[in-house]
Amino acid sequence: MKLQNSVGTVKPSVINGKHVRITSVLSYIIMCIITVIVFLPIIITVFASFKTAAQIGIDFPLKMPSFSYLENYITVFTRGKILLGFKNSVLIVVVSLVLNTFLGSMTAFTLNRFNFRFKKVIMALFVIGMVIPVYVTEIARFPLLHSLGVYNTMFAPIIIYAATDLMQIYIYTQFVEKISVSLDESAMLDGCSYFGIFFRIIFPLLLPATATLGIIKAVDIMNDMYIPYLYMPSSKLRTMTTTLMDFSSSRAGSWEILSAAIIVVLIPTVFIYIVFQKFIFAGIVAGAVKE
Amino acid sequence: MNTLAVQKRIFIVCFLFIPVILLLMFVVYPAIQLFINSLTSWDGISAAKEFIGFKNYKEMIFNSGDVWISLKNNGIYFLVHLLFIPLELMIAIILDSRIKAKGFFKTITFLPYVVNGVAIAYAFSFFYSPYNGALNEMLKAVGLEWAQQNWLSNEKIVNFSLVVISLWRFSGFHVVLFLAGLQSIPKDILEAAVIDGANASQKYAKIIVPSIALVIDFVLFQNMRGALQVFDIPFLVTQGGPGYASSTFTLYTIDTAFSYNNFGMASSMGVTLLIMIIILSWIQKGLFKKVGRG
Repeated sequence: MKLQNSVGTVKPSVINGKHVRITSVLSYIIMCIITVIVFLPIIITVFASFKTAAQIGIDFPLKMPSFSYLENYITVFTRGKILLGFKNSVLIVVVSLVLNTFLGSMTAFTLNRFNFRFKKVIMALFVIGMVIPVYVTEIARFPLLHSLGVYNTMFAPIIIYAATDLMQIYIYTQFVEKISVSLDESAMLDGCSYFGIFFRIIFPLLLPATATLGIIKAVDIMNDMYIPYLYMPSSKLRTMTTTLMDFSSSRAGSWEILSAAIIVVLIPTVFIYIVFQKFIFAGIVAGAVKE
Repeated sequence: MNTLAVQKRIFIVCFLFIPVILLLMFVVYPAIQLFINSLTSWDGISAAKEFIGFKNYKEMIFNSGDVWISLKNNGIYFLVHLLFIPLELMIAIILDSRIKAKGFFKTITFLPYVVNGVAIAYAFSFFYSPYNGALNEMLKAVGLEWAQQNWLSNEKIVNFSLVVISLWRFSGFHVVLFLAGLQSIPKDILEAAVIDGANASQKYAKIIVPSIALVIDFVLFQNMRGALQVFDIPFLVTQGGPGYASSTFTLYTIDTAFSYNNFGMASSMGVTLLIMIIILSWIQKGLFKKVGRG
């Protein structure tokens, strides 16, 4: 592999070496500009979060603060109750994820392994979920959740997030297909029931898919704004994201505290991204290829 | 019927019961309700729904100028994002080339898509702010004081300010999709073409673009769908203002329902949005195929 690569690199550069060098310098310049663009709003916010209101008024935005002024962060944690938001977010993510993982893998397995009446109908119903525009759905879902009595409880977002969707079923199905049916059959001969086959054999083998889907779903739920905002107006049910929205509306103009809140809310997603980026890339690409 | 068949049937029912019930309740039923409500003057609260036929649709088409102003703003998102697609493809090509630190650059490029969008929206609010906002301060610092603007309250500029946030957040998504497409092209084909004397533009036109036609098609579809559904950025940053200057079709629809309690009208807008997404993506797909062949 290594050898092949180096052969590949030599040939084009021998043919037009100058050209290759210019394009690669240009490539670095472009990528560095992009890096600056990506970091600029974040860096400015990080700097502002360590400044006093007066400093923000005088200082150049890219002037580095001393990083010893922590008052803004203290405010975010004490008066802002961001930890309550964090706790609520984690609770919603964990419960939705467990439910969603089982529902998604069970659906994919059943639809892949068995032939039965209504199978096509069920598949078609999942397609509807892909077509309906996202935010607009809530206009029709809101009265329903209201009448189910889950409005202003955590059950509202959890029920919505737990439901499986076409992309998830599609990715699980790709993995289920790779598991040989003969494995199911030999387990049956050993006296395993269908339930046993799924929970003891299939589900553990689906772990890579579960990891990918779980991480993407967790990030989606943590970042979701509109569902918690719409269905959980109670201040006790703030997620991290809706806590931040509260900050913005109640402390309009006090950029130093809002900046600290922005950074605190960014950190968990940045952390998850850095640690699990392989899974995230895999999931995004796998989900996109289906269409 | 033998016991195995019975067991199989029990299993299928057990495993699909909850997912299908959830699907019927939270996806299919609301979808049907959206169509039904669009033919009523429902306020979202009262038990009775008065059936008024297509009156909402007529009203929307002939008497609600603001919703079409909002849709025009969706058009801005669509066009600007569309113009950036070649650049995104170029970045993907760079990330697929032999440059050093490409892992690092790939991580950076995709970071905006994954991190919390609400936090980013507010970070940009600060960036654009007329009071101590970073952008105006930076312009001043480099002697471009004349270029300072009220980025979020000037009707002529506000949409472009918001589109920049959208580009910042979502361009990386397209890049990653293009990159996955590029990585699936066998490298020896490209190298053979170079050895045979193909120049860069021939390489792109004859090999790269046709090989990733499916990805391009998907990106174009996502772009159309995303642009027609823009909601969170204007909702968080400007609330659609000043006036309706930065409103979008979805923002206007959500407002109609939850701020003005006109669920009937909002439902008809929702149905219209659905139809627009289907028709416009279909037209775009046709155009793309035509260009591809010609």
